[in-house]
Amino acid sequence: MEAVAEIETRMQRARHSFDDLKAEMARIIVGHEGLIEQVFIALVCGGHCLLEGVPGLGKTLMVRSLGEILSLSFSRIQFTPDLMPADITGTNVLTDDPSGRKIFEFQRGPVFAHIVLADEINRATPKTQSALLEAMQEQSVTVGGKVHRLENPFMVLATQNPIEMEGTYPLPEAQVDRFFFKLLLQYPTRDELARIADFTTAGPPVALHEVLDAADILQMRQWVRDVPLADLVKDYAVRLLLSTHPQREPGKEAAPLAQKFVLYGSSPRGLQSVILAAKARALLAGRPNVSFEDIRQMLPPSLRHRLILNLEADAEGIGAEKILSEVVERVPEVP
Amino acid sequence: MSLEAEALRKKLAELLSWERRKRHEQILTAVFCYALLAALFTLPFHGLLETVISRWFIPILFFGVMAPFFLVRGYWGLADSARALARIDKTLRLDERTLTAWELLERNETRAAALMVLKQAGEKLANLDPQALFRRNWSWQAYCALPLLLLWLGLLWFDVGLRFDGGVQFSPPQTVAQRLREFSRTLQEKAKNEGLDESLRVGRELEQLAQKGIDEKTGDERFKADLAGVQNKIATMGKSAAEQQPLSASESQQDLRDLKAELEAARDLLNIGDATKGSRELGKQWLDQLATLPQLKKQFEKEGQAGQSLSQSDLKSLLDKLDNQATRELDRRTLLDAQQFLEQLMKQGPGEKGESDVKVAGQGERDSPEDNETTNNRSNLPGKEPGKREGESASVPEFQAGAAAHVKGLLGEGGSSGVVLKAKPSGGKSEISQDEVIASYRRQAEAELNPERVPEALRETIKNYFLSLGIGKE
Repeated sequence: MEAVAEIETRMQRARHSFDDLKAEMARIIVGHEGLIEQVFIALVCGGHCLLEGVPGLGKTLMVRSLGEILSLSFSRIQFTPDLMPADITGTNVLTDDPSGRKIFEFQRGPVFAHIVLADEINRATPKTQSALLEAMQEQSVTVGGKVHRLENPFMVLATQNPIEMEGTYPLPEAQVDRFFFKLLLQYPTRDELARIADFTTAGPPVALHEVLDAADILQMRQWVRDVPLADLVKDYAVRLLLSTHPQREPGKEAAPLAQKFVLYGSSPRGLQSVILAAKARALLAGRPNVSFEDIRQMLPPSLRHRLILNLEADAEGIGAEKILSEVVERVPEVP
Repeated sequence: MSLEAEALRKKLAELLSWERRKRHEQILTAVFCYALLAALFTLPFHGLLETVISRWFIPILFFGVMAPFFLVRGYWGLADSARALARIDKTLRLDERTLTAWELLERNETRAAALMVLKQAGEKLANLDPQALFRRNWSWQAYCALPLLLLWLGLLWFDVGLRFDGGVQFSPPQTVAQRLREFSRTLQEKAKNEGLDESLRVGRELEQLAQKGIDEKTGDERFKADLAGVQNKIATMGKSAAEQQPLSASESQQDLRDLKAELEAARDLLNIGDATKGSRELGKQWLDQLATLPQLKKQFEKEGQAGQSLSQSDLKSLLDKLDNQATRELDRRTLLDAQQFLEQLMKQGPGEKGESDVKVAGQGERDSPEDNETTNNRSNLPGKEPGKREGESASVPEFQAGAAAHVKGLLGEGGSSGVVLKAKPSGGKSEISQDEVIASYRRQAEAELNPERVPEALRETIKNYFLSLGIGKE
């Protein structure tokens, strides 16, 4: 009974913390409630996010605010074509020690923060991109043969500008697959624009309060993994994932749009992402188990960047969103 | 396992049991509906099944055949339990708590997070009444079952139905005993109508034998063995009747009946004469009346008593004698027909058509072979000794010169006793329609006028051939 009470406390705390986070973010960020929830889910799942949206939608402000509220260090890296890997990871610099001798001292790069905003990651060269991606994967950097561990929790939010694609280096699919979520920033509505104007052009900047800290985040990561998942719900997620593939198991039809426009379906990382995110969503909603609705809600951000579409999809303007919508419609919860 | 978990397990078992019961009820209701439909669609063929089971129970037979198949197909498994619980979660908006709790109980999970799920699911389901909340959903088969049942019962009650008759007989074939019983009853009726004591006695004996065979469900072969004894007895009776010098076998059946009727009319005249006239006048009057009774007159001529005046007592005894002779001859012929029927019955199997035999026994007359009757007469076959007359049957009447005077039914030509005698018809089969009489006489006339036995179908061809020969010569 004690353990159950502890679980109850845990659930309540997670829910309240999340509610507090949303409330605090709402003081400075207009709209983007869904986006904030998904970013936080990615954080408690230990994943990284790829943000896509036009400039000026508040991406940097949002990430910085998130860092403040969660008492996490924040750094921003503006990717340019001339950015070097050392500019990200850091480098050994020749300095004088107290005795006056020349030594190499490692100067940490901007990647050494809890939350790193990699702005316009597609503008940097592949070599520079891979330096960051390696850090994302390993949670450490190796400079001069020495491994330097990154902060924990560590999260990268990389952005891509969908407008200025000329002269850029799009991330290869294998690298895109490493991102937990791909989140789309929508243009604010009319009312939201009015409120943005009020927030940013009138009154002093808002001071944010801390809601959680790094230790809380790490603890919540463990709680997420403890959330029970029914086999039928897990099977539902598996069937959804398989439906994104054009060639399904013998005797079972793929979704028509997937059959026609998908070159390669989602990898198993997509399933891990969906399930972990669903668990986190259930925890943050104060529920003790994962539901079918959790799976459905977490499917688009987890898989939209993991479907490789063919040229026909480009020609007909069919995106991953439409394919995933059809998949959700066709696959029944219970076979 | 904690008390809460145990209570939850029981509650889940109750939920699943109710869902399982609803499924089985739906399956059985659907099968019942299909069984009734099958029974209705196969209504014309129930004759085949009636030997195995009564018509009233045919839907039950179909139900018994189909139910195991549908029950096996609708077997309740783990997947069905999971589906049922998912439906319950959706109905109660429990976000898959019930389903998750059920799986955790199956796995005997003891982690704190699992116990939390069990606790919350238990709280939500504690006061749930599954039968009240998840009511039965009846399918269209359930709604159709009762009307179909009423329709089925109604059709059987009013014995509405079709009988499949495509040249195949579905009713069980008549046994030899059953056919003999039909024949014996017909024979008895004829014997009663015509006063044939021997035939009546034989008919009763045959009926007793047939009924015994039916009651004991004797096999046909064994019954035929029993029948052979009776057949021999009838043959003996027929021979002894022939030895008693009945009337000539050349007299036709109709002549004999006419004679009996004339004898009765003559007796009536005699009785009236007794009361009113003297014996001399009776003799003169009697001779006058005799002229109008041709059959009787013919017999008197044969006896050599035609022109003589007889005393009343002599006349009565002569009439009685002629009556006995006629009766014995009719009896003999009837017994002969019965014997022929028995012979055919011994040769035929059960279910073979024997209606013509029954008819023959009932009518008791076969004056000439029927046109459509196949006989062993070789002269019927083309190219084989045409023109041979193989001997006429005993029942063919004698044709004399001036045949028109002797053709019955021709009113106004000569003396005909038919009109007078048939003023007192007896009931039953003693009446014959005019069409039958005319057809019979036509056949007799044709048989006499066409001695050449040329088949009818070839007559035109042969006639044309000979005509063409004549034209060719020219």
